[in-house]
Amino acid sequence: MSSSRSVQYTSSPLLASKTPIWRSQFIVAVIAAGFLGLVARAAYVQVIDNAFFKRQGTVRFVRTLDLPANRGRILDRNGNILASSVPVPSIWANPEDIERDPAKLKALAKLLGMTSGELDKKLQDEDKTFVWLKRQVDESVAKDISALKIKGVYDRKEYKRIYPEGESVAHVVGFTNVENLGQEGVELTFNNDLGGKAGSRRVIKDRLGRVVEDIGEMVPPIDGEDLQLSIDSKVQYFAYEKIKEAVLSNKAVAGSVVVLDVKTGEILALTNYPSYSPGKRGNLSGAQLRNRALTDTFEPGSTMKPIVVGLALEKGLVTPESTIQIGNGKFKVGTATITDEHAHGLLTINQVIQKSSNIGASKLALQMEPHDMWEVFTQVGLGQKPHVPFPGAVSGKLRAYKTWRPIEQATMSYGYGLSASLFQLAQAYTVFAHDGEVVPVSLLKTNQTVVGARVFSSKNAAAIRNMLHLVTIQGGTAPKAQTMGYAVGGKTGTAHKVEGKGYASKKYRGFFVGIAPIDNPRIVVAVMVDEPTNGAYFGGDVAAPVFSQTVQQTLRMMGVQPDMAVKPQVVTKVEKESF
Amino acid sequence: MSRLSFLLMIAVMVSALYLVRTQYESRSLTTEIDRATSLARNLETENDRLDVERRAQATPLRVEKLAREQLHMRTITPAITQYATVSGGGAASVAPGASAEARP
Repeated sequence: MSSSRSVQYTSSPLLASKTPIWRSQFIVAVIAAGFLGLVARAAYVQVIDNAFFKRQGTVRFVRTLDLPANRGRILDRNGNILASSVPVPSIWANPEDIERDPAKLKALAKLLGMTSGELDKKLQDEDKTFVWLKRQVDESVAKDISALKIKGVYDRKEYKRIYPEGESVAHVVGFTNVENLGQEGVELTFNNDLGGKAGSRRVIKDRLGRVVEDIGEMVPPIDGEDLQLSIDSKVQYFAYEKIKEAVLSNKAVAGSVVVLDVKTGEILALTNYPSYSPGKRGNLSGAQLRNRALTDTFEPGSTMKPIVVGLALEKGLVTPESTIQIGNGKFKVGTATITDEHAHGLLTINQVIQKSSNIGASKLALQMEPHDMWEVFTQVGLGQKPHVPFPGAVSGKLRAYKTWRPIEQATMSYGYGLSASLFQLAQAYTVFAHDGEVVPVSLLKTNQTVVGARVFSSKNAAAIRNMLHLVTIQGGTAPKAQTMGYAVGGKTGTAHKVEGKGYASKKYRGFFVGIAPIDNPRIVVAVMVDEPTNGAYFGGDVAAPVFSQTVQQTLRMMGVQPDMAVKPQVVTKVEKESF
Repeated sequence: MSRLSFLLMIAVMVSALYLVRTQYESRSLTTEIDRATSLARNLETENDRLDVERRAQATPLRVEKLAREQLHMRTITPAITQYATVSGGGAASVAPGASAEARP
């Protein structure tokens, strides 16, 4: 073995060429350099530019998943669903890589209910990677579309609001838009409570798209709260059907019904016709959308008289049996003349309400201080925005008492010169039904007996209830308000509609506000029929029958036993009312 | 010394392999949990949907229509209703004509 440092690979002298030492040194150096390169790269990746590589890894594997919160349901007082969210497919496309097969696109357009031109327009921008074709379609349509197997067309689950009760509760419940945000009614007012709060979680997904690891803390979604309304869907439905019938048969423009529970102040029904189906909102008009019971004000007419008489009793000016001279049906205040339909002569206070005498009410009003009248009107809620969680509820008009002239004070006693919504009238009448206290109303289920704000004494409230009962029996203006089995009471109202600066000569609004059963009141029902044009237009003719039917059904559903011996009721001759 | 190093190296190798395996299992389990959670959520929404559908089948509008048209029923009135008082009121009070008019 040679002592040289060169390596001899073979013993054959032919091949015995000496390898120079630099070659092995070179190899070692190259490998060392290779390792150094690797070390440098490792240092670069792990230390120097670590953040960049981490970010790239995150982008490739880590996903933030939204955890959508369920929107709360809206329930009626018995737990029946009035609105609930269900998942439905929405169709979207990726215009960048959609398969543009004319036959398939035509079939797709047909399924989506649009023309080929409309579909092409949606898909024309090829730079986009996402475009909605149609949101919230039926499950069967989505299935048909996926059966077409068009590349680049997908579906995604979205939540859609379903309203099983349809038209009858539309104005109360309202609706949401396609983004699940409340737009009208309770859906709008309680949007924050119903909506909940979406959560999120960060996860690592593998190449198959499966979640393999959670990163960090998950933010759990907070589902929206269920909302239980005071509405009874059966009462609501029945009231809606009856007002619809009344509007159609009287060829009227519109109508509303409000039913209040006197003991708890809960709104059992609040419905208007015309209405709309919250699930199908194509071609909606403002007339359909308006919650007339709360947004439309009108001059309350004769329904004001019991409040004025109540104040007269309270002030000790009269008793129910006191008499008042009506004379020949004409009464001059300053230059103006107040008229009654009939020359009743001498009327008792009871009869002033029963016959709905304008002169009687005016004479009482003129004995009072404007301030006292204004105060009582305000106490029963006139000129005040009702405390109900509805968008668009109005306060009506009640002018400051200092500006009242005597003639205005007189006309206000029979409901002209001030305005109120039907809902305000219904609430005002709780003062008689709840023994002299105005009851605070609630749209949410409470089931608790409420204490109201006292306006009249219990004795005077009972006296007024008796007068209201007289209205519905023989000799009164609204015998059609009678209902089988229950003694009722109430007051009719008929008002000329205001048009421009004056009153329209042949346009009326007939309404009726009543209490049942009159001796132990459980409900207040207010009914309004707007512009009846089929002959009858008095509140006692157009609104009182709706009151009668609504009371009948509502009391039956509440399990209230009849307080009258039951026999077929004879509708008595109608006393023409003054307005 | 070298034997000890060797043993330690084996231990590190085993531990590393075990770690890989554990992580794999953990990920499979996470996938399972995720699948079960989304199934639960789907079932919940399905339940909600069925609730709504059931309600839609039992709305007052539909009930009244079926009762009237298929079962030939009519709206009750106090004249064809018997009212039973629970206590204190004594015997049940019966509305006149109850038995005769109650028949369809």
